[in-house]
Amino acid sequence: MLRHIVRKEVRETLRDGRFRWGSALVGLLLVLSLAAGFAHRQEVQRSHDAAQAMSWSQWLDQGDKNPHSAAHYGVYVFRPVSTLSLVDRGVDPYMGVSTWLEAHYQNPFEHRAVQDTPAMARFADLTAATTLQLLIPLLIFLLAFRSFSGEREQGTLRQLLSLGVDPNRLAWGKVVGTGAALSILLVPAAVLGALALFVAGPGGGAVEGEAARYLLLLVTYLAYFGVVTLVAVGVSALAPSSRAALAILLCLWIANGLLAPRIASDVARNQVPLPSSMEFQAAIQSDLAQGFDGHPDRATRQAMLQDSVMTTYGVASLDELPFNYAGVSFQSGEEFGNLVFDRNFGALAQRVGEQLELHRRLGFLAPHLALRSLSMALTGTDPAHHERYAAHAESHRRLIQRVLNNDIRDNSRRGETYLADASLWAAVPEFEYQGPGVRWALAGQGTAVGALLFWLLAGAVLARAGAVTAARRA
Amino acid sequence: MLKAEKLSRIYNGTPALSDLDLEVNPGEIYCLLGANGAGKSTTIRLFLSFIQPSSGRALVKGLDVSAEPLRSKRFLAYIPEQVMLYPHLTGAENLEYFSALAGHDGYSRADLEGFLRKSGLQDDAHHQRVAGYSKGMRQKVGIAVALAKHAEALLLDEPTSGLDPEASNEFSVLLGQLRDQGVAILMATHDLFRAKEVGTRVGIMRRGVLRAELDPALLAHADLERIYLEHMHD
Repeated sequence: MLRHIVRKEVRETLRDGRFRWGSALVGLLLVLSLAAGFAHRQEVQRSHDAAQAMSWSQWLDQGDKNPHSAAHYGVYVFRPVSTLSLVDRGVDPYMGVSTWLEAHYQNPFEHRAVQDTPAMARFADLTAATTLQLLIPLLIFLLAFRSFSGEREQGTLRQLLSLGVDPNRLAWGKVVGTGAALSILLVPAAVLGALALFVAGPGGGAVEGEAARYLLLLVTYLAYFGVVTLVAVGVSALAPSSRAALAILLCLWIANGLLAPRIASDVARNQVPLPSSMEFQAAIQSDLAQGFDGHPDRATRQAMLQDSVMTTYGVASLDELPFNYAGVSFQSGEEFGNLVFDRNFGALAQRVGEQLELHRRLGFLAPHLALRSLSMALTGTDPAHHERYAAHAESHRRLIQRVLNNDIRDNSRRGETYLADASLWAAVPEFEYQGPGVRWALAGQGTAVGALLFWLLAGAVLARAGAVTAARRA
Repeated sequence: MLKAEKLSRIYNGTPALSDLDLEVNPGEIYCLLGANGAGKSTTIRLFLSFIQPSSGRALVKGLDVSAEPLRSKRFLAYIPEQVMLYPHLTGAENLEYFSALAGHDGYSRADLEGFLRKSGLQDDAHHQRVAGYSKGMRQKVGIAVALAKHAEALLLDEPTSGLDPEASNEFSVLLGQLRDQGVAILMATHDLFRAKEVGTRVGIMRRGVLRAELDPALLAHADLERIYLEHMHD
């Protein structure tokens, strides 16, 4: 029986001009956004690779100089772009793409794409994720808002019920039927996406396990479209008329897709305020200069280090040490800096993490928030992936400083002019990054998965209750 | 086949149907006559369990329809004043869908065409979309659904109102054939002439009460009309 309901729903849908035009339009947008995403990713990845290679060759060819000058000269690293970002760019446009690994400071990432974009252009930024997260649900609502109310209005619902049809089965058939009609649009899109990923190749090292990530991404969107369809069928069954059903669904669409993300950001900002960029930098400067948690100020730290080194080696003057004290001093400064950076960047990351978890929890109210979080995580474009890359870049910065400072300590004399050559630059390992796999990506997404499952259940309950009510009111 | 026992239904304190006792046996056409609001449609909707009785029982083949709403409907076919079909589907597709949902999903294209032909729908309309059908053609698809689901009882609510005399006559002939095959038919109608023609029994209702039960074979048309009017005006 289910098979017949599904087949009839599909047949009716395909003969309906609104579906043909609507899905053709959404299909076109989906193809265009995938193509644009593909082109954008390839171009950005190429330019990042080129820029990073150039920075590295400049490092190697910087000529003879003092290692500490080289430390200030530094290296730029450019964040690789996930191949899956052709589907969902996540927070990529809001996060900087590169950072400068230099002496003394952990620099924030610079050059955000949004800084180069006029405000209005943000709305025109069409990605596959926008199409999938906003336009397809709208299409589903337009397909399904009459599923029950329309049958009631044209009298066929009573005709069906007079045959002894179980209303639950009817609702289920309508849900599956809507999905089947939609699959005509979605299956080719999924294949096209897989093809684009295949052509783009595993590369850049932004993420690992692209295939598994893509499969789970499909499952996630499928579950979300299931929620949307269940809600649409349920509302259509419960609403007094098709017009009312459409009005209610459009309100839900606006609240869930457009208002919820804004409100969630405001709530998160209020509940877990973040320091401004200036406050953040000032706190780091203050920690470095004045010390913190019992660590003394800079001058005291330097005096204590001198004393302790001279005591250890039993000498009365720094010149008598068997190595160059400057290297020890630089490295000690670095290590204190590292404590400061870990403390400040760590606290910031934790607060950002709390904000994101709040978004995911609000996914129990607006499922779009849960979907967005999962989609970004699976495509490797969420803040957690950025955080992980930034941490690797920072540990590489620390490695460079250690190599250079140890060279000063061991190979130069205090007060002498010392120039290192290309062999030292080459002794610094080139920066390499291997992104995380799908397990890592999903580790923090438990709440989002829970919210999506909760909505599947809620949608099923709604559709069921709606079918029973509609049967009673037929 | 169809049986009402002290069947009553009260809407907001007003009785729409009071203590109806009625039985329709296989091979019978029972016509319910009465003005609008007499309780004819209420009776039919109670048999379909679209509404629940306030007291009493409606039985289909011995099954209480309130207790077994899905099972009791397997034996029924319902033809309202306007048979409602899916406009984007053809007549044959509508028939296929409705009979599949009634549990008969093995019909071939030829079977479906056979049912439509038996119901009097012209061949060239079988595979046209229903959007272009006349009312009479829709009623015929309704009959075809009843044939396809092998209904043992037919519930008709003003099935001929709005049909032209020829279509109406054609419909009566079809009902006669179904009666001869042993189907129990309960028909609510305003049409005294039609009731006299096809009915094996006629019931006259007013304000939810069955006032009289007559055998039309024993009456002339004029007598039926006189008795009907007497009951309407006292």
